[in-house]
Amino acid sequence: MLDTFKQIQTSLEATPHLLRLGRLFSETVLIDVDGAEYYLTFEKGRIVSIAEGPSRKTPWRFALRTDAEALDKFWQARPEPGFHDIFGLVKIGRGRIDGDILSLVKNLRFFKDVLTLARAKEELAA
Amino acid sequence: MSIEPITGRYLTVEIEGAPRRIYFEEAGQGRPVVCLHTAGADTRQWRHLMNDAGITASHRLIAFDMPWHGKSLPPEGFETQEYLLTTEAYIETVLAVIDGLGLDRPVLAGCSMGGRIALQLAALHADKFSGFIAIEASDFQPAWYDIDWFHRPDAHGGEMGAALVSANISPYAPDAERWNTLWMFMQSGPGVFRGDLSFYTRDDSLIPRLPTINTAKTPVHIIVGAYDLTCTPEDAARTAKAIPGATLAVMDELGHFPMSEHPEGFRPFFVEALEKMPKSTSAAA
Repeated sequence: MLDTFKQIQTSLEATPHLLRLGRLFSETVLIDVDGAEYYLTFEKGRIVSIAEGPSRKTPWRFALRTDAEALDKFWQARPEPGFHDIFGLVKIGRGRIDGDILSLVKNLRFFKDVLTLARAKEELAA
Repeated sequence: MSIEPITGRYLTVEIEGAPRRIYFEEAGQGRPVVCLHTAGADTRQWRHLMNDAGITASHRLIAFDMPWHGKSLPPEGFETQEYLLTTEAYIETVLAVIDGLGLDRPVLAGCSMGGRIALQLAALHADKFSGFIAIEASDFQPAWYDIDWFHRPDAHGGEMGAALVSANISPYAPDAERWNTLWMFMQSGPGVFRGDLSFYTRDDSLIPRLPTINTAKTPVHIIVGAYDLTCTPEDAARTAKAIPGATLAVMDELGHFPMSEHPEGFRPFFVEALEKMPKSTSAAA
């Protein structure tokens, strides 16, 4: 999972429009996968550090809690219904969002697009 | 160079005791079909079908922007009002447009909140229509988000609304149409999406009316996308079950904005729905 988040970090550096969208986003986000904690710290749209938990000393703005199987499905090119969006994960009971949800919603497009940087690429022509 | 067959004009009607200048578009000839857009969007959601010669050869598709949406301006004095759409005002608007355009028992096709009001009209004013195509429509769901997110002075409601509703678009949707669909939400006026959602997530008056719908006189066909998180296939199936004689189609690869997010994928389902409607108003009488 750590490798996937590092892949997202690298991809984000190569995605100028997302860096532009995230230029006002400087927060630490907790991603909890089956109880394993990953702290992604954003600085003006860049992921400047990825730290593994557990940590009681690291403040975070909001958290996405889910499981590895759900994320694996989320990152498929054409996810099944419900696995196609973080709010879908919440809706089908495979995810939970905690913390400052308004901060997430204000930066929702940026955050969702960053997470999908790990989504498998596939020719989506119907 | 190409010029599309869609034409747009303005109609002024009276709603809630005051004039409303309403923008409408139409294309085609034959059986009239009035098309209602979703919350927070406008008539542009229907442009693909209105440009579809195979459909407009025998159907006159008419779509209009609800007041506060698209090119229909809000009422005079809007700057001091809180926009909260009600079932009553919505019904009055649809009926006023139909009367204003002199339409004789059109088919009513509505998506999302448009589908909800289509079912309300099926229950309360079926005599004005020949049939109902209710897309992404259900009896009632409370919001799974805080609708007040979408009208705040410290954040862009359009940006947030678009990001949120993107959860309802299928991964099968072509990227260009995904973003065209989201653009309408990004353009929505301050508080308009919130005001639409107030109707959609707080008015449950349709539930007791569903069994009163007479599908023998005016058919009801419900269409729902599997990727719709807002009106799920389960919500649509529950609603169809509560309407005696209603039919249901589930689109496995589509979401909440099918006519807009994936027009090619939606087309066969819309054609199937039209085929379920009476061939002419006299046949349905």
